Parts: sequence; structure tokens; C-alpha cells
Amino acid sequence: MTIERKIREHLHKEAETMECPPAVSRRIEQSYSQYLQRKRSEKPMKKRLIGGLVAAMIMIPTAAFAAPTLIEMLTRTPMTAEQVKVDEASKPALEKLYSAFPETKSFEIIDASSLGGDTTNSTNKQAIQTNFALQEKGGTGKKISLGISAAGKIDSVIQENWEPKEKPVISLNDQEIKAKVDFLINKMYGSIDNYEISMEQLDNSNQKTFMLSYIKKGSEKPFYQAFVHGNTISVSLIGGEATPSNMKVEGFFSTNGKPDHTADSFLNDEKLFSLLKMSPAELKQELAKGKTVVEVAASKNISKQQVIDVIAKTQAEKEVNGAAVSKKQMEQLSKALEPKVLQVIEHKTETPW
Amino acid sequence: MQNEHMYQLLIKMKAGDQQAFHAMYDATYQDVYRTVSFLVDHQQDREDVMSEIYMQMWLSLDNYDMNRPFHFWLHGLVIRQVQRFRVKSWRRFRIFERIRAFTREEEESYWDQHTALDGTDQMISQSIRKLTDKQRTVIIFRFFHDYTLEEIATLLDVPLGTVKSRYHAGLQALRKYLWNLPPERMEKINDY
Repeated sequence: MTIERKIREHLHKEAETMECPPAVSRRIEQSYSQYLQRKRSEKPMKKRLIGGLVAAMIMIPTAAFAAPTLIEMLTRTPMTAEQVKVDEASKPALEKLYSAFPETKSFEIIDASSLGGDTTNSTNKQAIQTNFALQEKGGTGKKISLGISAAGKIDSVIQENWEPKEKPVISLNDQEIKAKVDFLINKMYGSIDNYEISMEQLDNSNQKTFMLSYIKKGSEKPFYQAFVHGNTISVSLIGGEATPSNMKVEGFFSTNGKPDHTADSFLNDEKLFSLLKMSPAELKQELAKGKTVVEVAASKNISKQQVIDVIAKTQAEKEVNGAAVSKKQMEQLSKALEPKVLQVIEHKTETPW
Repeated sequence: MQNEHMYQLLIKMKAGDQQAFHAMYDATYQDVYRTVSFLVDHQQDREDVMSEIYMQMWLSLDNYDMNRPFHFWLHGLVIRQVQRFRVKSWRRFRIFERIRAFTREEEESYWDQHTALDGTDQMISQSIRKLTDKQRTVIIFRFFHDYTLEEIATLLDVPLGTVKSRYHAGLQALRKYLWNLPPERMEKINDY
């Protein structure tokens, strides 16, 4: 008998004698239920994550930042269906939805939560963001989720499973997909006649995804952006928000000789310029020499932390968009932003992100 | 085990179906536990690695390509977790401490478990345990799971040549250990 055969037989024989202790099974089962619990409590957050992802993709299209979407750092308060119906911010949105898609009146509100607000007393403190989702009872599981900003605007709409399961949206041809998205935006936001629409397939090996940008003629920034993947269309409102007035210089960094807008929203910061005591153009010039923002700051005796603090604060303020947030929440947000900021200020032009 | 079926189970499990979890667990835990037992020597460590593997299973489900054999993916998880476990040096230190404190107990429980095996089998067991971790992993996956050396290379994410050299070195070492058996046991081996 060869040694190979002997080993093989031996291993199988020995394996027979090995019994997994029941304690292990119990432990694993326990960690599974813990995972489920965590997952369930995260559910309302997931929705926002999609919106957050969209925002991150627009702001920083090429960089893969590891930090969690920052709004996720704040805790969400769950809401009941009744609260949604009377809430100052979500009531008009819900009515808008009912008039746009009358069939949704029969849907039930399956999920609702608000961020940073106090739902028991809506006059007391305004929520930074409110989310809710409606689902068709029985049937094919049509689902629609809305995200509402502090100002009461609907800033995201996610439509799931509205196409038959066998033929999800993504399987339709380009024209049909576009028509579906047009219809959704038209219903929820109004006419899109004056918009130019571009459609591109995102480079995502796991899942086919299309991005549609609706840009007002003559403007550069998309007004609506829609992502289509699986049987889901997610639309987010990008325009209409106050465009950063400090967008003076673009393309602080470049990739392959072309301006790279990835970090512009971080670096176009008045406070940063005044901290560095230089104009935006000067900063751009310095960066073009291959220095990082940290190095530029160091040459002016400014520490990395100072730079981080300034940028993180501005970004956190942008994120909450004027809503009433406690000081602690602001600090949490700024803290969450630090890794992102760090990546930007340590980046060298012409190097991959 | 059918890939399609397992995949469905995993999806259900991820969505929170406890029953799917039990079905999946029952279908896999023996195989996983035995593999881990061959690769990790101490009981407490095996349990830790086991639970890490299953945790990883639901966390990295999205990476599973259902066109590929389920077991291959599962064994990939097993290998990565075992390796992760080995590189944690602080744990090694802990093991070291534990071995020192409980040498006797460990030994006893180890042999208690193996009373079903006769003398030669004990020799082989011991010899396999004497191999280096890298050699042992290759030997176990080659002979216990019957993977080809190419598949093992993919699983371990190392070049085929490396797998071959570990395999041959492992076999060589085993031959050497078993060659040194007392004569009567040698005859027994040659009898087969």
C-alpha cells in the first residue's frame, strides 16, 4: 500500500472520530442571531446608505474611501406609520407620492426613521433627514422609498421591484431604461424637458449598473442623478442645493494630465485658504509641483491636524445643511470625516487614489 | 451538495431565515470542523476558528460566485481563517502560555479522543501533526478533500510550484517519520 493511500485512508478514518462539540454549534448559532439583530436594526440605515453612496460617488467619483458614510454616524430614530402621516417633513412628500402613483395609497409603510430629529415632538427639533419606505401588500413586492431633506425636499427616491421579476429593469434595453427613469423623475419632480441626459454604464464587475445624469442645459452639475441596478432605480436630487460658492478653482489634482475633480469639494474651502494664507490658485500651483496639502501646510508651519480640523468642520456643516444638530453630533460627524480628509490632503497629484 | 441549492440557502440565511441557517449549518459543520481539527491543534483554538469561519460566511456572502463550487468557496474561507489565526502572534503567545499551564490535560484529552485508532494510526496522526503548518495544509487538502495541486494553489493563493514543493516535502517528512516506526509496525504497513 502506498503511503499516499495510507494517508488518505487514515485521514478519513480519523475524521470519523472527530465530533464537533455542541458548544461550538451553540456559539455559532448565537453569533448568527446577533448578526441578524444587528442587521434588522440597521435596516432603515441601509436606505440612506444608497443615497449616501450616490452622494459620495458624485463628490468623489474615483476614490474609494474606507470611512463609513458620515451621516451613518448619527443615530436614527425609528418612526411609526402614523408619525409619518403627520410629520411636517414627510407628510407633503407622502402626499406627493400618492398623487404621482395613486396605487401607492394601498401600500403599507414598512419602514420609517428620522435622523437627528425628535419625532415625538416635531416642532421641537427638525430632523436632518427623514426616510420612509412603502411596500405593496402581497403581490410582487413593489417598493418605493423616499428620503426627505431638512428643508422638506425629497432628495432621493428608490423604486424597487416595479418590473416583473423575470425581467428586471436592468435587463431592458437602454431606451426602455431611460424611459422608466424619465417617467419616475417626471412624476416625482416634474418636467425634465429642459434637461440633457447622459447615460453610462458603471465599471462594476459584480453587478451591471447604469448611471443617468440629468443636466440642465448650460449647467455643468447634474440636477438629478439616477442609478439603475437589478430591479431598482434610485434617483437623487443633486441640484437645487446651494452650490458651494467657494468653487473658485477646479482640478487641484490631475490624473494622466487631466484635471481630477475628486477632491475639489474638500479643498475649495475658504477657511483652508485663509489658514494656509494663500489663494486657491497658489495652492493649486503648489500641488502641481507634486506636493501634498500636508507638505504645503508644513512649509507654513501649520500642522496636519489643523488642516484636518478646518476641512472636516466645513464638510460636516455642508452635510447637515443648516439643520439643528447638537454639538456632539457635529463632533461625531467631523470625526467620521477625518479619514476621508486625510486621504485628500495626503494625496499627490498624478498618483492613483 | 448542489451549488444552486446551497446558494439559495445562503441567500435565505442572509435575509434572516433561521431555518435556512440550520440547514446550511447541518450540511457543512462536520466537514468544516474536521478540516479545522486537522489544521489547528488545540481544542479552544478550533472553536474560535470555527466561529470565525461562520461569521465570515455571512459577512462575505456577497463575494460568492455561484458558478463556482460551493465547497471550494467554503474551503477558501476555512483556509483564510486558519491562516489569519496563525498570524495573530499575540494568540500564539497565549497558546504558549496555555500549553505550559495545561500540558498534561491537553495530552490526556487528545489521546482520549483517539482511543478508536490503533497504533499505526496514532503514528500517522502524530507524524502529520509534526509537519509544518504549510505542509500540513497541503497534505490535508490533497488527501482529505482530494483537491488537485492546482486547486490547492488557487485556494492558498500561492504559485503551483510552491504547493508542489510543500507537498513533496510533506510526503518526504511523513515517509521519514513512518520509516522510523518500530519493525513490527513497519511490517503491518507493508502488509497492505
